[in-house]
Amino acid sequence: MRPDDRKYLKSHEWAKPDGDVTVVGISDYAVSHLSDLVFLDLPAVGTEVTADETFGEIESVKAVSDLYAPVSGEVVEINEDLPDNLDRLGEDPFGAAWMIKVKTTAESANLMTAADYEKHLEAEGD
Amino acid sequence: MDPVRVLPCEEGEPAWNMALDEALLRASDGPTLRFYTWSPPGLSLGWFQRYDAVASLPGRHVVVRRLTGGGAIYHQRELTFSITGPLRSMPWADPIEAGYVRLHEAIRDALERVGVDSTLAGNRGRAAPRPDELWCFRHPTHADLLGRTGRKLLGSAQRRIRTPEPRILHHGSLVMAAPAYPIEGTASAHEQVPGLEAEPLVRSLTDALAAVMGRRAEPGRPTAAEIALATDLRDRRYRDPKFIRRR
Repeated sequence: MRPDDRKYLKSHEWAKPDGDVTVVGISDYAVSHLSDLVFLDLPAVGTEVTADETFGEIESVKAVSDLYAPVSGEVVEINEDLPDNLDRLGEDPFGAAWMIKVKTTAESANLMTAADYEKHLEAEGD
Repeated sequence: MDPVRVLPCEEGEPAWNMALDEALLRASDGPTLRFYTWSPPGLSLGWFQRYDAVASLPGRHVVVRRLTGGGAIYHQRELTFSITGPLRSMPWADPIEAGYVRLHEAIRDALERVGVDSTLAGNRGRAAPRPDELWCFRHPTHADLLGRTGRKLLGSAQRRIRTPEPRILHHGSLVMAAPAYPIEGTASAHEQVPGLEAEPLVRSLTDALAAVMGRRAEPGRPTAAEIALATDLRDRRYRDPKFIRRR
């Protein structure tokens, strides 16, 4: 069972509250379907992100995929050495491979609990 | 059998070619297949490629940014195809590696019908492109198509988005006549069938790709809304130096 200390989007990003900041990353499911990760673009600190809109992109051998913000707000920290260490995503997608921290002003209405996310994954067929 | 809309093969300027692909990715109702050629020549950069790598290459080509990854491609005498639409209408596309193989095997068979032999790179290709390689066509990966001499003939790439729903753009480039500059060493259709025209190839590819998609090809045109979106994207993004130089 995936960590239940956070919520999830259907597009596999997770959002973990940490005071007035939300830590954002992607789930192991997303990582396993991407495979052979090559590049990651994260927004600069200070960027405003908007819930349900893209905050970055990730490239695997075979596709560039958009990453969607689960919350709105200002990016206050990014995981700077993650783009040069993408294997961390395979090793610890819910911990060391966090992507951005956002000073949250609003949340996506599409966030779901870990339990509902598991049901969503079952429905996706995995 | 459900249809796939097939747009007429048209020559376009580089920014327009990319803009229409993005408009279809974001806004088409159902799956669309299109073929296009480039005038003036284009040099398309992968989404993550550094602009510096091509900034000082002289020539009359126009540099554009692709939504898809991979290396730089020189588009002159070549035929580009794109498949766009909702992922739910594309059962061929997953798992992703198998999807590439299905598509490229269909293209291989379509090429054979017009006299051009090719093979999937398989073990002659690498599992993954190295991020520091400039040219897409110098370094085949497993699913790419190679010509008779083992050089790359066709490659393709995808962009996947998740809003408003999971959608996909898969486009690919087939070299008709190998450029001498700024890249050498690709295969070409013309090295096997000199003077092969786009039209019979487009017909053969349309049949093959519609079959992979499990749909019947239905000729169509972009809608007014798609044209309006593509025009806006061309002007705001694909012709914008800031977007071209995003990296």
